[in-house]
Amino acid sequence: MAEYRLDCFGEACPVPLLKAQKKLADLKVGDLLIVEVDHSCAIKNVPEWARKEGHNVEIEEIGDGEWEIYIQKTK
Amino acid sequence: MKLEENKYFKTVVKDAWPYTVGAILLALFNITLLIVRGSPWGISGVLLYWGAKIYKALGGPLQNWAFYSNPANLKGVETPFFSHAGSLMILGIIIGAFFASLAASQFKIRKIKTYRQVIAAVLGGLLMGYATRVALGCNIGGFFSAVASFSLHGWVFGVFVMVGAWIGSKLLVKFFM
Repeated sequence: MAEYRLDCFGEACPVPLLKAQKKLADLKVGDLLIVEVDHSCAIKNVPEWARKEGHNVEIEEIGDGEWEIYIQKTK
Repeated sequence: MKLEENKYFKTVVKDAWPYTVGAILLALFNITLLIVRGSPWGISGVLLYWGAKIYKALGGPLQNWAFYSNPANLKGVETPFFSHAGSLMILGIIIGAFFASLAASQFKIRKIKTYRQVIAAVLGGLLMGYATRVALGCNIGGFFSAVASFSLHGWVFGVFVMVGAWIGSKLLVKFFM
């Protein structure tokens, strides 16, 4: 159950989504990926994709215009 | 109760609006605009005039320019900023977006992370600027307003935007990821 952080601060769409997809593919089932973003459309398209894939997703607002997206790989 | 916990504040100010709400509002505002102003929404044509105004202010000779020898094209440059409906609309978009993100406490000045982002932004801007002139519009004037006006060129524009977006995303993954 490892935890990985993906720094996507300063990255505009669709870069956070593409990076998250690439990173999650390398993770094992049960691992947690935390995507750090500051682009509001990323908190829409990243969770949308991850939920569609069946992973557990949670969004945390950590500051003004900054979020962490928690994705737990389920399969 | 704190304002952030109020469900109406959360739905209206904090969270992103659903696409359908956005679509309906855009349609209503565009209809209103067409009635009041006589022409639908456009962005890139106005930016063209902003560019020409700056060029002129810096002493650039517009009169030698074939495009601006057409009085219709020159009119947009010579209309004062605050009398130009298109310019005021873009100003409104920027101010509106600013206050929307401020109200949701999501305003942030993002740092430039790498030089690649600068290169990508400059290249992207040049490509978009050039393309909007040869296509006579951006995704607003060339697609949104065109489709809403039942013009076929909007649909043609839409198909090729998808082709361009597909090529663009391949280039993005190849060079900037």
